[in-house]
Amino acid sequence: MAEKLIFYILAVITLWASVMVITRKNPVHSVLFLVLAFVTSAGLWVLLEAEFLGIVLILVYVGAVMVLFLFVVMMLDIDLATIRAGFVQNLPLAGLIAAIMAVEILLIVGPGNFGLDAFPKPEPLGAEVSNTRELGLLLYSVYIYPVEIAAVILLLAIVAAIRLTLRRRPDTKFIDPAQQVRVRKGPDRVRLVKMAAEDVAPVVDKGDAQ
Amino acid sequence: MSFDAANLLPILPEIAILITASLVLILDLYLKDQDKGLNHSITLIGLVIAIGLTGAVGGGDAQVFFDGNLIRDPMSDLLKGAILIVSVLTFIYARPWLQDRGMLVGEFYVLGLLAVLGMLIMVSANGFLTLYLGLELQALALYALVAFDRDSSTGAEAAMKYFVLGALGSGLLLYGVSMIYGATGSIEFAPVAAAVAEQGISNKVLVFGIAFLVIGIGFKFGAVPFHMWVPDVYEGGPTPAVLILSSAPKIAAFALAVRMLVDGLHTLHPDWQGMLVILAVLSMGLGNLVAIAQSNIKRMLAYSTISHVGFIFLGLLAGSEQGFAAAMFYTIVYAVMSVGAFGILLILSRQGFDAERLEDLKGLNDRDAWYAAMMALIMFSMAGVPPTVGFMAKLLVLEAVVRIDMLWLALVAVFFSIIGAFYYLRVIKFIYFDKPADDAPALLTSSGVRFAMSLNGLALLALGLFPAALLSVCQAAF
Amino acid sequence: MENVYLTIVLAPLLGAIAAGFFGARLGRRGAHRATIAGVAVSAVLSLWVLARFIWGEATVFNGPVYTWLVSDGMRFEVGFLVDKLTAVMMATVTFVSLMVHLYTIGYMADDEHNWPHGALSGKNSYQRFFSYISLFTFSMLMLVMSNNFMQLFFGWEAVGLVSYLLIGFWSTRESAVFANLKAFLVNRVGDFGFILGIAAVGMYFGSMDYAEVFAKAPELADEQVAIFGGVSLMTLIGILLFIGAMGKSAQVPLHVWLPDSMEGPTPISALIHAATMVTAGVFMVARMSPLYELSETALSFILIVGASTAFFMGLIGLVQNDIKRVVAYSTLSQLGYMVTALGASAYAAGIFHLMTHAFFKALLFLAAGSVIIAMHHKQDISHMGGLRKYLPITWLTALIGSLALIGFPGFSGFFSKDAIIEAVGHSQLFGAGYATVLLTVGVFVTALYSFRMYFLVFHGRERMDEHTRHHLHESPWVVTVPLVLLAIPSVFIGWFAVEPMLIGDWWTTGDWSPIVVAHEHDTLHHLREHWHGQAAFVEHGMHALPFYLAMAGLALAALLWWVLHAWNPRIDELLQVFGGPVTRILQDKYGFDDFNQRFLAGGSRNLGRMFWITGDRTLIDGGMVNGSARTVGRLALRFRQLQTGYLYHYAIAMIIGLVGLLTIFVTL
Repeated sequence: MAEKLIFYILAVITLWASVMVITRKNPVHSVLFLVLAFVTSAGLWVLLEAEFLGIVLILVYVGAVMVLFLFVVMMLDIDLATIRAGFVQNLPLAGLIAAIMAVEILLIVGPGNFGLDAFPKPEPLGAEVSNTRELGLLLYSVYIYPVEIAAVILLLAIVAAIRLTLRRRPDTKFIDPAQQVRVRKGPDRVRLVKMAAEDVAPVVDKGDAQ
Repeated sequence: MSFDAANLLPILPEIAILITASLVLILDLYLKDQDKGLNHSITLIGLVIAIGLTGAVGGGDAQVFFDGNLIRDPMSDLLKGAILIVSVLTFIYARPWLQDRGMLVGEFYVLGLLAVLGMLIMVSANGFLTLYLGLELQALALYALVAFDRDSSTGAEAAMKYFVLGALGSGLLLYGVSMIYGATGSIEFAPVAAAVAEQGISNKVLVFGIAFLVIGIGFKFGAVPFHMWVPDVYEGGPTPAVLILSSAPKIAAFALAVRMLVDGLHTLHPDWQGMLVILAVLSMGLGNLVAIAQSNIKRMLAYSTISHVGFIFLGLLAGSEQGFAAAMFYTIVYAVMSVGAFGILLILSRQGFDAERLEDLKGLNDRDAWYAAMMALIMFSMAGVPPTVGFMAKLLVLEAVVRIDMLWLALVAVFFSIIGAFYYLRVIKFIYFDKPADDAPALLTSSGVRFAMSLNGLALLALGLFPAALLSVCQAAF
Repeated sequence: MENVYLTIVLAPLLGAIAAGFFGARLGRRGAHRATIAGVAVSAVLSLWVLARFIWGEATVFNGPVYTWLVSDGMRFEVGFLVDKLTAVMMATVTFVSLMVHLYTIGYMADDEHNWPHGALSGKNSYQRFFSYISLFTFSMLMLVMSNNFMQLFFGWEAVGLVSYLLIGFWSTRESAVFANLKAFLVNRVGDFGFILGIAAVGMYFGSMDYAEVFAKAPELADEQVAIFGGVSLMTLIGILLFIGAMGKSAQVPLHVWLPDSMEGPTPISALIHAATMVTAGVFMVARMSPLYELSETALSFILIVGASTAFFMGLIGLVQNDIKRVVAYSTLSQLGYMVTALGASAYAAGIFHLMTHAFFKALLFLAAGSVIIAMHHKQDISHMGGLRKYLPITWLTALIGSLALIGFPGFSGFFSKDAIIEAVGHSQLFGAGYATVLLTVGVFVTALYSFRMYFLVFHGRERMDEHTRHHLHESPWVVTVPLVLLAIPSVFIGWFAVEPMLIGDWWTTGDWSPIVVAHEHDTLHHLREHWHGQAAFVEHGMHALPFYLAMAGLALAALLWWVLHAWNPRIDELLQVFGGPVTRILQDKYGFDDFNQRFLAGGSRNLGRMFWITGDRTLIDGGMVNGSARTVGRLALRFRQLQTGYLYHYAIAMIIGLVGLLTIFVTL
């Protein structure tokens, strides 16, 4: 019973947070709601006895991805007005399509097809089964091929990201702190130049000459 | 659950490609600017080795490896070979363009090779998971390639559109896969097929899932109405990236369709047939019509791609072995035609100039008669004029459609291909009957490019005259 | 053996490719060496194949080499059927072709003088010519070695194409272009019948393969087709295919292109328009003998057409003054003899005459070419005469050729022609009497025109101008050697080949008989029954009517154009006055050309103009093409605007597509 209660609480928060993500005006708020949605989803995983997935979701998504995302959003100067410019104008069509879509999905993904008759509640496996271990065993035996492919995808992501963003721009005036620190007081900062005295002809004021 | 080293045998081509990519990635760090050509050589060697390995490990009946994640069958052998051969051509054509623009860097080859790797993985996938991972690997590499020219804003915009829509497409595809998994309890094709055969077509969840799968396929192919990215990406992306994008991935997309719809869901043929009919008619119609109004040749070729996709779908939707073989034949032929057409555009480009407008082809015959002849062959083949292979390909898919008593569809296809012939022939008119622009310099190309292009163009003629060799291999795959 | 046959076919093709595509790089010498090497290889191999058939070592080869396409159970293949008939054709074609290749080195040596100065097509014309004749050899071999109708048609069209290219080889001459166009168009008429015939075969037999069709033919012998109020299928197929043969083998009324084809260089007149290509029709009918034997109507048709050609075309030869045209009309007439033999079911005799004719007619053409070279490309025999002492080898070989042509006892033509006349005389078909009379009188005509030319060219007064006479000399060895090599078979081949080809059972031994003759049609059996060896045959020939007729013709020719002509060269004009309207009809060539020009060409032009103006220009162009083009253009612009460039439009389009699919296939 308590389990059910927790499930509904988490589920309601997840849904509410998701709606907030797409309706908030301030993108920072949106990101924070997304974090909330992830956290509650992680709770749902744990309820399903998939502790490993729950923890990974928090560690990877909340801990790394979303924080990064937050930084990006805060640093960018996003003009909300332009983003929302067409919103009302497109709303009728978008709303209609969304409604049809929702109806159709509900027709299929409803209790008729995915009810407890079709998918009975799985029996709990008990405390001695470690799903981290099971997952690991599966991943590195049956699914070794997909795992390797995933590794290649990560490699690709690194290469692509570096290629697309790392660039030398001679025209930007950036400062290299390391170079600043390395500057020595004597020879680098001030240079004393000894010059021979120049023989400069005195400026003759025309007024004086008269 | 124990691992058998014999599993590695069928993926030797993939391993070769991955090693080549890694080698280029590392070696590139130590190469001076003037030695970057070495990347190119290594890439080609790697591809050729992979072709050899494909031949060596291929042949024989279907075998399943990696606990059902990988399959090696006649289809995968043929499609891998086709992808690798087409890729060799793409890299050969791309090199001068990259060199002229100072982009002959390792990353291009790494990204290209990883895209090829993704395609190979797709071709021999035996489950939704592997298929999807291969798809993503290929797609990510392609996104990056489209944005490869960092200083080009159109390239960045095209890549952005491609990426966002691609993510949407992948998402829909995954959703469909989850439905199939929900209904059948497996992500491997053979158990899925067995479960589907058992449940019959009464299960609405399966049909629901298929609609999403078809959208994923339609997006990868660029079928109407999931084609919107095609013209913008073709136009905006750097030509070498478009060259890669427009050729071999179509073969991979064909594998995507066949693996999911035929290997997994053949029982539900009546359902996906209807969906493909709609996509095919829309694609042939819109593609051919809009191509006429284009003045940018890359955009024109983009719409031409869309119309060809319609034809490929004709063969697929027939649902017969003969239809699949015809579609496969068409896909491979299309990849060869497309790589040739974009290859010619690359040949026409030079430092500081990209051949993009139809006018840039004017008087090609006066500038280089041989390339003009090759381009004419390619255009005739795309238009489906005998004796080029394009005619044969169209004939075969039409025959497949007529065989399943969908004569009306064949007539629609013929009607649109007649409309389509117009814009191909217009290109030929530009090549042969117009004078070149005054400032058009003579075409300077390396003998390697010339050789590859000659091979490419003449292959279209040779395959048209002797289609039986390729066709029998295609037929053997089903 | 398959490899040998492939080599035979492909060697000339390789030569043609080398000379055609790399001619500029190879140079003249390289080009002719490459092509001659190719043809020599296939000639040697073909002779070897024939020899194996003669000595009975070879077995019939029938098999596919490459499957081009399978459609609806019908296989379209490239394949070879090599039996005795094919072997004879292969040997003839490649041997004559080799001779012509050699001869061409001499004939085309100064080809650049035949082109206007600076003409682009005159560049490397020498190499191109060699490439064409090698390509022709390849095509002809494909035709004769085919084992199916599709490849037959390919070869048929390919030789036609090469013939077209070669007739118009000197493309800067208007007459040459006119002639090749004419040849092409007339052949199209024939080919139309031919392809309809092949289509009928495909439709009723469901196969393109000879062996399968022949095996099934007896079953379908009584099949009726409901056109023209019901015709027998075999008659229909037979006549349709024969219409193709009429075009290619220049039978009345589709003969008009052959005399004009003499616009081409002489070597090809010898190779294509005398020895090989024009005999393709004869070969084809002989090859189809299992079908033709099932339709007497078709055979009668062939008989009448052939005999008419043989006689009436020979007559025209009497009034021609162009040396090549005389030979051309004689070719027409001889083709008529062959076709008549086919009509009388004496296929063996037709093929036999085809072979002997190939040698002596090629010889005559090449001799004519040698004369033309000596005369600086002047071809009018009224300005020749007395060439005997300037061109001794040419003279002697031309005499041999002429004797062979008129069927002088002992020469090769005698055996084949006498056999044909004999066979036709025994035929019971409708029209056989007509044919016998025409062929027999034709012998007289043949002798008359042949020796008219011979005496006018080699004997009598020297009527050429001073400059030409001054430069007269025998042609170089590359010209004379082929003449001599062709003269040898022209004399002897008949003697040696008559027994196996006509009398013995050479054709029918073995499990595959290339020539099938129904018992009641077997017109050659009389010959066989009364056969007592060649010597007896020659001796018997000396007392037969054809011999007297030939001698009479020879004597009359000698009287008119040697004795009287030497006395007064204006004898020709006198003859014309005497001949009166007959001469005029002959000079007008019975008005075929005028008729074609005025009614067929003119009429179809007018018809075409009418269709063009009302149908094409107003209806189709105005209404449909431009109208639909406008509509398409408008639609294209409209649809183009769908591509807005906004990402969210694209995304929404995808979603709408998704919703559409879901609604149609899931909800509905």
